[in-house]
Amino acid sequence: MTLMKRRKFLKTSAAASVAALAAPALIARAQSGDTINLGCLFSSSGTMANIEGRMNAVVNMAAEELNAKGGVLGKTVEVMVTDPASDWPLYAQLGRQLLQQEKVAALFGCWTSVSRKSVLPVVEQNNGLLYYPLHFEGEENSKNVVYLNSPPSSSVLPALDYLMSEDGGEAKRFYMLGSDYVWPRTINKICKGYWTSKGFEESAWREEYVPFGFSNFQTLVNDIRQFASEPGGQPIIVLTVVGSSIPAFFKEIINQGIAATDIPILGLDVLEADLEGLDTAPMVGHLNCWAYLQNAEAPENDTFKEAWKSYVGGNSLPYSPETVIDPMVSAYDGVMLWAAAAEKAGTVEVDPMREAFPGLTFDGCPSGYDIAMTGENNYVSRGVFIGSVNDEQAFDILWQSDDQPTPVPFSPYA
Amino acid sequence: MHRFHRAPLVFLAVCLALCTAGAATAETPLRRATLEQLCEKSVGPRVEAVDRLLTATAAGEEDASWTFAILDAARSKGLHCGKDAVPLLKLEDGWRDAASLAPAEPPEQKMKPPFVNLKVRASLDMGAALSALLAAPGSAAAESGLGEIEKRPDRANSAVIAAATALSENAPFVDRLGSIQASLDLASEVPEDRIAAIDRIAENPSERNRTALLNLQAELGGKADPVTRDALDNAIAEIDGWIALGAVASTVYSGLSYASILFMASLGLAVIFGLMGVINLAQGEFIMIGAYATYAVQEALRAIAPGLLDWYLLIAIPIAFLITAGVGCAVEASVIRHLYRRPLMTLLATWAISLFLINSVQAIFGTQNLEFATPAFLGGGERLIADFIVTWNRLFAILFAALVFVAALLVLNRTQLGMYIRAVTENRDMAGCIGVSPRRVDLISFGIGSGLAGLAGLALSPIYNVNPTMGTNFIVDAFMIVVLGGVGNLYGTLIAALGVGMINVVIEPLYGAVAAKVIVLLLIIAVIQLRPEGLFAVKGRR
Repeated sequence: MTLMKRRKFLKTSAAASVAALAAPALIARAQSGDTINLGCLFSSSGTMANIEGRMNAVVNMAAEELNAKGGVLGKTVEVMVTDPASDWPLYAQLGRQLLQQEKVAALFGCWTSVSRKSVLPVVEQNNGLLYYPLHFEGEENSKNVVYLNSPPSSSVLPALDYLMSEDGGEAKRFYMLGSDYVWPRTINKICKGYWTSKGFEESAWREEYVPFGFSNFQTLVNDIRQFASEPGGQPIIVLTVVGSSIPAFFKEIINQGIAATDIPILGLDVLEADLEGLDTAPMVGHLNCWAYLQNAEAPENDTFKEAWKSYVGGNSLPYSPETVIDPMVSAYDGVMLWAAAAEKAGTVEVDPMREAFPGLTFDGCPSGYDIAMTGENNYVSRGVFIGSVNDEQAFDILWQSDDQPTPVPFSPYA
Repeated sequence: MHRFHRAPLVFLAVCLALCTAGAATAETPLRRATLEQLCEKSVGPRVEAVDRLLTATAAGEEDASWTFAILDAARSKGLHCGKDAVPLLKLEDGWRDAASLAPAEPPEQKMKPPFVNLKVRASLDMGAALSALLAAPGSAAAESGLGEIEKRPDRANSAVIAAATALSENAPFVDRLGSIQASLDLASEVPEDRIAAIDRIAENPSERNRTALLNLQAELGGKADPVTRDALDNAIAEIDGWIALGAVASTVYSGLSYASILFMASLGLAVIFGLMGVINLAQGEFIMIGAYATYAVQEALRAIAPGLLDWYLLIAIPIAFLITAGVGCAVEASVIRHLYRRPLMTLLATWAISLFLINSVQAIFGTQNLEFATPAFLGGGERLIADFIVTWNRLFAILFAALVFVAALLVLNRTQLGMYIRAVTENRDMAGCIGVSPRRVDLISFGIGSGLAGLAGLALSPIYNVNPTMGTNFIVDAFMIVVLGGVGNLYGTLIAALGVGMINVVIEPLYGAVAAKVIVLLLIIAVIQLRPEGLFAVKGRR
């Protein structure tokens, strides 16, 4: 009897606590017909919290900017924030709730590909729209997702080309280290296909994966040092670990005295925000590649950075007012592109909006490039930056593309 | 390992003060050409300029302190160039003319440092390190430069190495310079020199040197004379032995350091869950509070006594312990005290406390990772055997864990308070009957348990990311260790932590980190199946 009771109690209390957690997350309800609701799916807790949390704020900031200019279709834009707690199935559950119960016009969200993959069936079944702000592995083109950032063909491959060129140090050997999920595995598959096409043997690379939230990199960095000393030419690290593993990895690299001139690290998910809390002087020269860097030289960028600073200050948010990262900019672009599509279609219904996508442009992107949707797919064409860590916890621009390469969703190398 | 980032700046200031005095020799053609090329955007001319400058400096045609000043400025964004403008150096004390190093007026037009990419950086770093040996022989800057050169001895400029060896002030470095020279001599055409170099390199075993020898072996192929071939074979065999030994030492050290982290994270829980039987889900947050207390001490020292900043980790020990113990006592007195007979409610209540603590810290400090200054004595490490590096911050964590373990044992086994705690653990009612106040003992034990978690936060802060959610990473591991070791037994916790740490680092290189985690979990399940009470069970109040 007692056992039964306990079990029942455990169940109800667990259910109650989940409900209690979810309920305050969705307080901003639609009040009248004069508002359009947007939904956010970014975690404010769990392993992604440090970096995803600020995305909610930037969507809110973009919505405020729209409202200050009179809203969209004459209506006020409201943003509903949720906390999927870095728990991938919860992204889908909250996404469904936002679409079915709150009737949001569009979703902005997901960081890791595994969370996007979990939301994907939900937006497809409910014919919703998800604006996804991260650069990712490609190999996907859903009519219900707008891919705001670059597929590997216009981010990872140009960066590899650079590192394999004479100026970049003529990389000949590659150590791939990633978190164990779909993005790193697909990226590494594409990289391997690319290197094979360039005539590299399989012995030129090594591939290792770690669990999410992994932080004890001692053994792996030992392994990297050993790999690097073996014969065969200049080694580099292609780093695809995510979240809190990034600073933990860099700490261990610094600790064991490895400099960028010894083994350069191409950190595919490394952002300005990951460098907070690190002394970057011993890291100078490591690389990343994105469609925006904080040091991009453009008047739009100055405006955006100023706006973020005053938004953080004005709302006393717990984020760094000085740090602006690519996914924030992409999410901001996404809100603006969504608004442009709505104005063009004259409605926020998904099907007419989708027809408005081809030829849609936004010239206020803080990266300084005009961005556009082609109509061939749901990708946005962006400029490409390769950054190099400097000693001020940011990236200097090492290289940037002349124009915006056409995004190629499906890689020939995968 | 030496960190080559800061020392030269201090040296540069001293050098500039000295050499500007005699720098009437301002504008030589070499200086003009060097600066012009260093200001270029493309890579080739800049690398070429560095090489030419180094060779000229070794031959005595250029002042070594100028060479060092320019190369060091160029790699740290100090060299400013502008269109049709004289290149300037921007130093902490103002602008200087790059050719003469004499003080100069700030530029009127826009000048900026040319971007340094990896290839140029490698060349400038090596150049600055080499010229430091000539500009300030025997100094600390020269020594840290030497460390930089030793990472890639095959790329050193042999003329500079020879010139540096000839300087009497560099006498303390003669041995290390000889090793660098040996790496260069491997390419020598004279068989005797080559054999001497091979023998010399074998004395300094590392994977890199092994690769250098293997490359030489492949290059010579069948052409090598028998003596060289034997020397190579012997040298490689000798290095192989040392590398194998280094790998074992490295694995043991990694295992110890991981075990020390697991142990620190679970020690507090061993007291709270092990001795008191409270399922405390907020234990991870106590670790987090300890880390934030350490941060607060660091910031306070930075503001009040910057001279003591290097010692903040030691100064923070009592403070982190007391603050976390205080929070723990408050939690015990306000919430847990009322729930001792309802373990399920404790579980929920402590979970709520954990969420509350995370969110409060988020509201006060923000979500970003905190920046901890690495004290000089914890930065870097020392190469011991072949490629085995003892990193100081890991060593600190190991020693700290050992000390805390001994202290906790002494308190529990050698003091009156410890006796009370053990008495209440073994038989609460009987202890109450003979005059021990179980309530007070509960409060104090909970305080000690949370204080220990605070110390874990302190020990972890130089190694891990410190942010409000850091504690959630440790809570599962901590419960695992305590349950595996057997509740109510600190030795059990120690042995479980050592076991899990060692097994992890042994499996990781073989099957990968993901598999290691799975295998360790399976092993733990197997052990719990065989010994449900954990490895070392003690009769407690459960």
